Amino acid sequence: MALAAFLGLALGVAALVISLALLSGFQSHIRGRLLEETPHLQILPSGRGDFILAEGIGERLGRVAGVASVSPVVRGRLWISVRGQSVPAEAVGRENAEGLRLDPQHARTLGAYTGDEVLLVSSRSRLSPLGPVPIVASMRIEEVLSSPAGRRIPEVVLPIREAGRLFALPAGGASGYEVRLADPSASSRTADAIRGLLGDGVRVRTWEELNEALVLALRLERIVLFATVSLIVIVAGLNLAATAAVLAATRTGDAAVLSVLGATPAQVSSVFLAAGGLVGAAGTGAGLFLGASIAALLDRTGAIPLPERLFALSHVPFRLDPVDLGAVALLSLAWSVAVSWGPARTAARGNVAEVLRGA
Amino acid sequence: MEREVPATQALLSARGVSRGFGEGATRVEVLCGISLEVLPGDLLSIVGPSGSGKSTLLHLFAGLDDPDAGEVHVQGVSWKSLSPEERARRRGAAIGFVFQFHHLLPELTAEENVALPLLLAGTGEAEARRTARECLERVDLLQRAASFPRTLSGGERQRVAIARAVIRRPRILLCDEPTGSLDPAHAAAVFEILTGVARERAGAAVIVTHDREWAKRCATMKTLTASGLIAVEDSRLPESAEGGVVPGGAAGIPEH
Repeated sequence: MALAAFLGLALGVAALVISLALLSGFQSHIRGRLLEETPHLQILPSGRGDFILAEGIGERLGRVAGVASVSPVVRGRLWISVRGQSVPAEAVGRENAEGLRLDPQHARTLGAYTGDEVLLVSSRSRLSPLGPVPIVASMRIEEVLSSPAGRRIPEVVLPIREAGRLFALPAGGASGYEVRLADPSASSRTADAIRGLLGDGVRVRTWEELNEALVLALRLERIVLFATVSLIVIVAGLNLAATAAVLAATRTGDAAVLSVLGATPAQVSSVFLAAGGLVGAAGTGAGLFLGASIAALLDRTGAIPLPERLFALSHVPFRLDPVDLGAVALLSLAWSVAVSWGPARTAARGNVAEVLRGA
Repeated sequence: MEREVPATQALLSARGVSRGFGEGATRVEVLCGISLEVLPGDLLSIVGPSGSGKSTLLHLFAGLDDPDAGEVHVQGVSWKSLSPEERARRRGAAIGFVFQFHHLLPELTAEENVALPLLLAGTGEAEARRTARECLERVDLLQRAASFPRTLSGGERQRVAIARAVIRRPRILLCDEPTGSLDPAHAAAVFEILTGVARERAGAAVIVTHDREWAKRCATMKTLTASGLIAVEDSRLPESAEGGVVPGGAAGIPEH
């Protein structure tokens, strides 16, 4: 009976640990990709024009503790035009961009391929003898590549010098800076440090704020999975409740003897509570060990393969998070004690004289 | 701890105690208006046929059960006036209980079983174990301290149970058929230990038994008749050096 309760709880806990490890594995993969592709901090001007070289923003950011690298970006809106077709697009100029990079969505709409010449028409204009005319540039498509994960609007990437010219920025000017951090989880703290350093003229946004929807979805997914799979532990715990009830019913004689020896009702019930808690603790411990071992084994051996082209992963990843393990242990232990409570109380409130007469 | 009870004050007293079981037509009145006092130094045996309410009376004395009418006092305090927690504490401190079937906990060793009342009272484990070994020595079972009850003989188990009953030095020993499950040789040994312990603590012992031969060895013997009344066999004879052997065979004289 106690063995069944132990096994049930151990399997429930193991199932919960493995599910959470699986989710953590995938989520940490997604988070990893997100952190590779989006800036950890985005610095934009606030209530003013673009940054200019003389401000030395780049250098000042580079000296902030925790900052790994700083790159200026130039952002703006433009039209991409090829063979009479044109689409509006968000454009971003980067230092490391070698040529024009189109998003597949734009490429499809335009019917354009790598190597085609396109005309970029900026939303800014310059003054000519004929009046203001839009700034234009002609460029060859270097590659067609998806925009980074978590970006809602597809964007066109081009070298920062070209972008600066298209959007009429002075040399060395930037419409913003993108910062990468040594430790992305410290983004809020570093953002505060930068706000303190640069004052009111800038707006700092962290990668969590930039990808709020995705970060929220990941967190929600975690909560929902935990709640769902917790039901296994809850049901397994009911098995323990039955065991505790049987224990309380079969050991009434011993409970009565304890009362005769001077045990208070609270002491008697604590004995039964400890018995339930002990089975619960053993089941939880075994389940944690079993679940963690299976998850670690599956991760290390790559036993569950994935089509790599689709997921950019060769096998299903498992990741054991200490916080998850702690939450599972807490849930299982608390539930074990909770279900043992009723039978323990019953055992302590039994009529001792009646039990002794029957014994 | 326990306040001292004057020598003349009863350690236990029952006044007009009645207790019955069941409902309606099946109701059986087991005890009807029993009054009894147990004074310091008393060695009292209660005999009577099965169902006469001997065990019920012990349960009432120990505060494990409540009478339908009347009151039971232990060292001057009514059980009725105490909460379940206070009852438990008073019972543990004042009363040692010996059962017919020892009721040792099978998962604990002899030493742990004996130490249990002290542990429940909050004594530290080392101290409780040390006292438990002393008590086991008194009943000549120190060498079996680490044994589990299932490996002990019936007589040994009962001696362990006695050691457990006296470890907190209670002034009242309540014994329910303490020799009932033992052969004569073991029964004699157990009886000697019980009477010796009760006398030495300047307390009192109430021994319920169906065996008149053992009952006669007590200073006082009373018969609980089937009608539920206590009948005094005799006599509070002065205790003799040999253990107060009392001439038996007296007819039951109703107290009420």
